[in-house]
Amino acid sequence: MVSLLTLANITEEGVRFLSPHDGTPMLLTPEHSISLQNTIGSDIIMQLDDVLVTTSPDHKRMREAMERSVRWLDRCIAAHKNPDTQNLFCIIQGGLDTEMRKECCKEMVARDTPGIAIGGLSGGEAKDDFCRVVKTCTELLPELKPRYVMGIGYPEDLVVSVALGADMFDCVWPTRTARFGSAITKHGVIKIKSSEYANDFGPIEEGCGCACCTKGEGGLGITRAFVHHNVAKETIAAHLLTIHNVWYQLNLMKEARDAIIADEYPAFLHQFFANIYSDKADYPKWAVEALRGVGVDLLSDSNI
Amino acid sequence: MVAPEPDGRAMFKILKGVVGDGVGPRVGTLSLPKRRPIDTPNFIGVTARGAIPHLTPDNVGKRSELGGVYIALEDFMETTRKKTSPPLLEMNSEDIGPLHSFTATPSHMFTVLGARRHPAINSPIGNAKDSISIFTSTGFQKLTNEAYRQCVSKARPDVVIPLADMTYSQTTTFTETKRRTNVTSSKRQLRMVERTEDWLAEFFEPSEDGSEKALPSVFAPLLPVSYATQWEYFNQLEQDFSTKLSGLAVYDVDVLPDLSNHGPLVSLPRLSLDYTATPQEVLRQVQLGVDICTVSFLNGISDAGIALSFTFPPPSNSSAGIRPLGINMWSPEHEVAVKPLVEGCKCYACTKHHRAFLHHLLNAKEMLGWTLLQVHNYQVLSDFFAGIRASLSADPPAFEKGCDDFTKVYDSELPTGTGTRPRARGYHFKSRGGDDKINRPAWEKYGTESDPALAGEMAGLAVTGPAAEGKETPLVPDADAAELDRQGFAEISK
Repeated sequence: MVSLLTLANITEEGVRFLSPHDGTPMLLTPEHSISLQNTIGSDIIMQLDDVLVTTSPDHKRMREAMERSVRWLDRCIAAHKNPDTQNLFCIIQGGLDTEMRKECCKEMVARDTPGIAIGGLSGGEAKDDFCRVVKTCTELLPELKPRYVMGIGYPEDLVVSVALGADMFDCVWPTRTARFGSAITKHGVIKIKSSEYANDFGPIEEGCGCACCTKGEGGLGITRAFVHHNVAKETIAAHLLTIHNVWYQLNLMKEARDAIIADEYPAFLHQFFANIYSDKADYPKWAVEALRGVGVDLLSDSNI
Repeated sequence: MVAPEPDGRAMFKILKGVVGDGVGPRVGTLSLPKRRPIDTPNFIGVTARGAIPHLTPDNVGKRSELGGVYIALEDFMETTRKKTSPPLLEMNSEDIGPLHSFTATPSHMFTVLGARRHPAINSPIGNAKDSISIFTSTGFQKLTNEAYRQCVSKARPDVVIPLADMTYSQTTTFTETKRRTNVTSSKRQLRMVERTEDWLAEFFEPSEDGSEKALPSVFAPLLPVSYATQWEYFNQLEQDFSTKLSGLAVYDVDVLPDLSNHGPLVSLPRLSLDYTATPQEVLRQVQLGVDICTVSFLNGISDAGIALSFTFPPPSNSSAGIRPLGINMWSPEHEVAVKPLVEGCKCYACTKHHRAFLHHLLNAKEMLGWTLLQVHNYQVLSDFFAGIRASLSADPPAFEKGCDDFTKVYDSELPTGTGTRPRARGYHFKSRGGDDKINRPAWEKYGTESDPALAGEMAGLAVTGPAAEGKETPLVPDADAAELDRQGFAEISK
């Protein structure tokens, strides 16, 4: 249970919070959470966990949350009615403390859930802390189970996390940034709202294969000028950029898979960062460091 | 070489019309060059800033039966310090035409370009001898007849409506779609006619650089004043321009019966830009001889969260009492209704989704809610017009009886939505000082709306509700998932 709800009160029984709709008090227990997810019937269901802001300095509370998440996982597994049709994922907690994360990995892996999520990240922590935690966890996780890093979405984060051994992600950012009028391209994010695009009759991204950017059969031939014309005015601009951004992210992951299969992922990483930054000096330090840790040196040309 | 004159009679075929030379409902086909022909009576979509609100162009092409769209030039004319010329006019698109290309309008659909939005915002400045006042997203501007002509030749729409001198009345409420041009001064009315006459004549003059540019099909405006005031203008249309016109753009359908005095104009297709607030008014327009409607209430009704539910001809069992014209999807009765918006509707929203989901989307303020409503409502209108055409073609014609029945079976007004609407922009609606906000603010400073009991409880200082009476909120809900499912997402302890 991510504490986006500032008014949540977490006890061993579950999370007590005020309904965001009408302010009435509600209680969500691990059993209740699983029962609801069993009824909804999604292919992957998530355990109820106790999450703290990763940057919280309260070490004692962090440990309590991690240990409670493990106990709640046991309650979730016990309450899970459809283990044959729905896959329950545990969520590894422990903040930025790698020792605590290791302990949590050990406990949760022992419970043998079909998939494993790394939670509590993407909450404002430094990027190198984030990479350190992902790497610590993935090193301890079994090979043949999907590893899901929750709440990750910037293209840089995706490609680096893949290098660190993560398999799947979820994020609101691509669609939210679309609603704010930004387009993701392989050369970085561009703000279509900016007046420089008012007379730009090119596609949102040259060479993109999404429905907006392509012309002819099935393609719309949308120009940056038309999106600019409607950004923050008609909802259609948000729709068009959402189509583009989601396509971009899916295609990025497809290219990553292809590169891994062709055994060319380091070269893929080099190209990815070279597309965004013309000067290697501008490469984000955290990404360079994190990738060096798994044997990819972005700053050299040797391992292309 | 002189390009062949566009001729409304060649592109518009009347398949079945009224007997004699009168003006009344008729069935026809309008075929514009390079576009898919449409059967009439029919309607075209009204765009905002070049797009059907909430529908991306691929959905307009795939999920609607629209054959054309109305586009207002004023939606493209804003200029700023940095952007001195409207981008639409800067675009070079040889093959498909800048207007089509810029707005990504599907290639089978035709575009109708007019100067002002439909419905238009009233300008406090008023029109001048050689220009009208238009309203862009950056404010009011002057648009001269000559500038309009140049814009048209650059944008290259399929159909253009030359400038008309008109005044729009200020609406009092946001939901009001019936905005009459209530010009009472007879002097002003005469001036409207005179200016429109002059502007039309100028519109057809060869351009200054002498180049022979093929004009789009021209639909001449008929003004919202009485026939007695504008009959001379009709004469001019008949005598001087009837071969140059491809159709008529009717701003007040009440002048249509008098068209019978102007034989050569009768066979031209008639596009209505008159306001409609109900389907009954749409039927009345068809009865008076409109071939193509612009259903001005349609986009607004989707924004209000209403799923239209009427058909033509209306259902026969009148025992069911007066039927509503639409369903308010905000209403909590749809919370768990796992059924289509309208039983039997073949639209994407009704075949793929259900009321409960749509209700949820509106409540969650997800834009998809309005998208699905638009898909549904456009389909209802397409089916409505298909019904009208079938009843006109039937032998004996069943249209008149259908109209009578429709009035008896259905409510006389569309329901008003009860929830929040998508954010309205200045070009949608111009508020006046002291008006209330259309929507309530989405959030406020926490705790300012002081409920001391609730605030106290949150701070752990007070205990109210069942807990105060010694009852604990059950730690483990005493309901199973099936029951919770029936009640909603999570149990609320009362």
